[in-house]
Amino acid sequence: MERQASRRWRGSYRRRRKKPWAERLADWTRNFIAFLFSNVGIVCLVVGYAVAGAAIFYYIEGEMCQKTLNVTRNEIADKLWNYTSRVNIFSEQQWKLQVDIMLKEYQKDVVKEAKNGYKVKSMEWTYAGAFLYSLTVITTIGYGNISPRTAWGKVATIIYAIAGMPLFLLYLSNIGDILARSFKWTYARCCLCRCRRKPRRFEPPPPRTNVAPAGRDQWQMVKIHGGELETSSIEQGSSGDDDEGDEESEGSYDPQNVTVPITLCLTIMAGYVCGGGMLFSMWEGWGFLESSYFCFISLSTIGFGDYVPSDEIYSSKGISEFSFLFCSLYLMLGMAMIAMCFNLMQEEVIAKWRTLIRTLRHIFRCDR
Amino acid sequence: MSSRMEMQMMNEVQESSKCVKVLYMIWKFFACVFSHVTLISLVVAYCLLGGLAFQALEAPNEIKVRESISLLRTNVTGELWKMTLECNVLDQENWTREARGQLETFEKDLLQKMEREGWDGSEPEAELQWTFPGALFYSIIVITTIGYGHIAPRTAFGKVVTIFYAILGIPLMLLCLSSIGDVMASSFRFLYWKICCYVCTKPPRRRRGRNARGTIRQPGRYSNRTASLRRSVRVSQRSADSALGLSESVGRSSYSDMDYRYHLEGMDLATDFPSTRPSTMSRYSDIPVSSPKVKGGRLTTGTASLDRKVAVDPTEANRMPVYFNKYALDPEDETQNGQPSKVGSRKPDNLNVRDTVDEASRTNRACGTGSLPRNHHLAVESSNFRRQFSQPPPEIREPQASISTDVDSMKRSMRMRRAQSYYGPGRHQRHASPSTRYVSSIGYAVHRQNYVDDFDVDYDYYADDGALQVLKPVPIWLCVFLVVSYIFGGGFLFSTWEQWAFFDSAYFCFITLTTIGFGDFVPQGLAGKGSIALCSLYLLFGISLLAMSFNLVQEEVINNVKSLAKSLGIIKDEEGEEDEDD
Repeated sequence: MERQASRRWRGSYRRRRKKPWAERLADWTRNFIAFLFSNVGIVCLVVGYAVAGAAIFYYIEGEMCQKTLNVTRNEIADKLWNYTSRVNIFSEQQWKLQVDIMLKEYQKDVVKEAKNGYKVKSMEWTYAGAFLYSLTVITTIGYGNISPRTAWGKVATIIYAIAGMPLFLLYLSNIGDILARSFKWTYARCCLCRCRRKPRRFEPPPPRTNVAPAGRDQWQMVKIHGGELETSSIEQGSSGDDDEGDEESEGSYDPQNVTVPITLCLTIMAGYVCGGGMLFSMWEGWGFLESSYFCFISLSTIGFGDYVPSDEIYSSKGISEFSFLFCSLYLMLGMAMIAMCFNLMQEEVIAKWRTLIRTLRHIFRCDR
Repeated sequence: MSSRMEMQMMNEVQESSKCVKVLYMIWKFFACVFSHVTLISLVVAYCLLGGLAFQALEAPNEIKVRESISLLRTNVTGELWKMTLECNVLDQENWTREARGQLETFEKDLLQKMEREGWDGSEPEAELQWTFPGALFYSIIVITTIGYGHIAPRTAFGKVVTIFYAILGIPLMLLCLSSIGDVMASSFRFLYWKICCYVCTKPPRRRRGRNARGTIRQPGRYSNRTASLRRSVRVSQRSADSALGLSESVGRSSYSDMDYRYHLEGMDLATDFPSTRPSTMSRYSDIPVSSPKVKGGRLTTGTASLDRKVAVDPTEANRMPVYFNKYALDPEDETQNGQPSKVGSRKPDNLNVRDTVDEASRTNRACGTGSLPRNHHLAVESSNFRRQFSQPPPEIREPQASISTDVDSMKRSMRMRRAQSYYGPGRHQRHASPSTRYVSSIGYAVHRQNYVDDFDVDYDYYADDGALQVLKPVPIWLCVFLVVSYIFGGGFLFSTWEQWAFFDSAYFCFITLTTIGFGDFVPQGLAGKGSIALCSLYLLFGISLLAMSFNLVQEEVINNVKSLAKSLGIIKDEEGEEDEDD
């Protein structure tokens, strides 16, 4: 952010001085920033940000090697030995009682260590782990399987999150928009092509005054056909009145005016989650339910962290990096997908709401 | 949800039959469901339900896991005993090595239990995690998408229930938070303006000055906008919605976001009249009919308010901010700057207007200084009204070019509207308490009204509304300060409740309020039972506070970023919306 701000400042400053080279430089910076905020650029920006974050966190937290339990383990073993050798009378009951107490202490130590981040497989703060960590921060998933231990790491996390989350939101809105458009286009082309003639008949938007009756009539007409076409055609009619300066009125039939039914959006989301579940169950050796659960928890940004990617796979070292990449790809794509679905669903709900209001008004008018 | 709709219904219901009454009752019912109180109680009930359900689902499993732990330990003890019995000679080295091996497997088993089965490290006789308060906390954690993960469902059924619970609960929570955020934002705005106008006079002036500068730049910024404005309204709306799709900015719901976008665009419409107005308005076929009427109405109100102002002015004159000067004079310049590039043919008219305006202002100044003993500020301020008074002459002088005068009159009416709406808050600032109430009530009403999903609102509505909204923002630093102090206050509270270090507590608050929720720090309820309840209260309030400050800050931030991008020329036509989340 700061970098951009300074660059912008510089750009404007130089432009004010009206020198050719300055102009050129300003143009160049302007183009560069414009590119950064374009659709391709934003992806690069997010990825670059995550990589930079990985480097930073790896630098800060990397040398924090975990305290091993070896010391305590040895201590306990010595204690046990001492007790065993000291107590001459071997009463099983007594001995077991004492040992149980010692083990309880040891157990407490283990629990404490585990809560401080000790894992069966010590895998944290590898470079890939740091990458995943920075991704979970800016997406606000926050698994918590690895979290910063040092104070500096925490400060860096806070700053990183403040700058990163708006960036990721930007990414989501951009990519979600693109996906929604393309999906709508596909939907309009593939699924609605058989009824293409029907919407075209209603293409000239009805004048403002008799909007409600027109919408109502159309609603009744299309209702006969039923199914998914109904909503889309309604939107065809209804979108005409609220904005007459419609943006994409390039042709007679505009795929962007189509609303995708909610069921389809839900199906897509469920399909994505289940597909992810299948993949992760293959990759990580979880059950199918667990994997789907993991996908849902991740994509809804709840992020419990009870299941964390590349938990199992890490033992076989070769694929681990690939697994991280795959996982982050899945997350980034999936969140954009969900943003898209929310986008489409919202339009759909609004369209439905409008038709509802319109029908209500119509009823009232009739009664009067 | 939509008071205006309701009003309409109410009007219509007076002359209605039984069926309509039933429909009206249904409508009322839905309106009631979506009102704030019902929404909040709905969320609370949902949380309670979730608490009960998860407790019933998960508690038996947890007891089982804990019993398995003690079983594990007895096994290890048995193994050790057997080992001790089996080795005939008690050699320390051998024995410890064996014991260490045993301990290692024990440790691994423990960790496995913790990771896989969610054992929290406590004994069977200790209190369960999935008590009712724990499960309640869990359900709050789920639907706010914080997700600490300190407790997570371990049974398959619990997982499935969690998924469906989240699907239903997250949107509900978002709706609730956004409505709370809206209420808080409007009340905060009200409080801020009340306090600022009432108590202190100096800080408001500084703030006003800053805000004024922010607004005054706008005509220049948007002067090269074209008819694609409408388009950008739609596009930005959509992208805003998709930005909403996830994460905590979802927190303020689609409604608030959208209507803020409307405010913004409305403000654009209000400010960039010279170039946009003609092209946009030319779509209406009834310009010649409508514009004089509008003008007449405006004019009379303008004079009326002038009278009031004259009455008030002498006492308050020394407090007048200087920025009225800019307001009064800049738009003329902007008209000159923006116009020639876009609409070259209309330039003469425009110049003409300017001349007449200047002329009129000169005469006006003369009479103004003559009639009343005004000081500099007042004279400057009166130039607002000079513009209004100067409207009639050009039209009278050039009645021959009908289309161009139409355009002109459109511009003029826009300008008048501007002058008026700029004038309004200035007046509010001067007489403190009654007018603040006025502003706030207006703002509130307008705000509410925007919830109505009305699709045939005209530009005037937006323009006035936008100007109103723009002129009474709460400064960004105040919101930021509020959030930061909330975080630090939470840090202080948690450091006493949970005996964490202060920095750790603040870190915990940040991670919680951003809904990242690592779960490396989780409130354990060390300071008694009430702690967890207080914690959930803290985080619910905090998230709605965040939603509120987003609400308050959003438009200003978007404006600033847009203007930055604009000054660099990044935004040309439709990239405008891409920066707005930044």
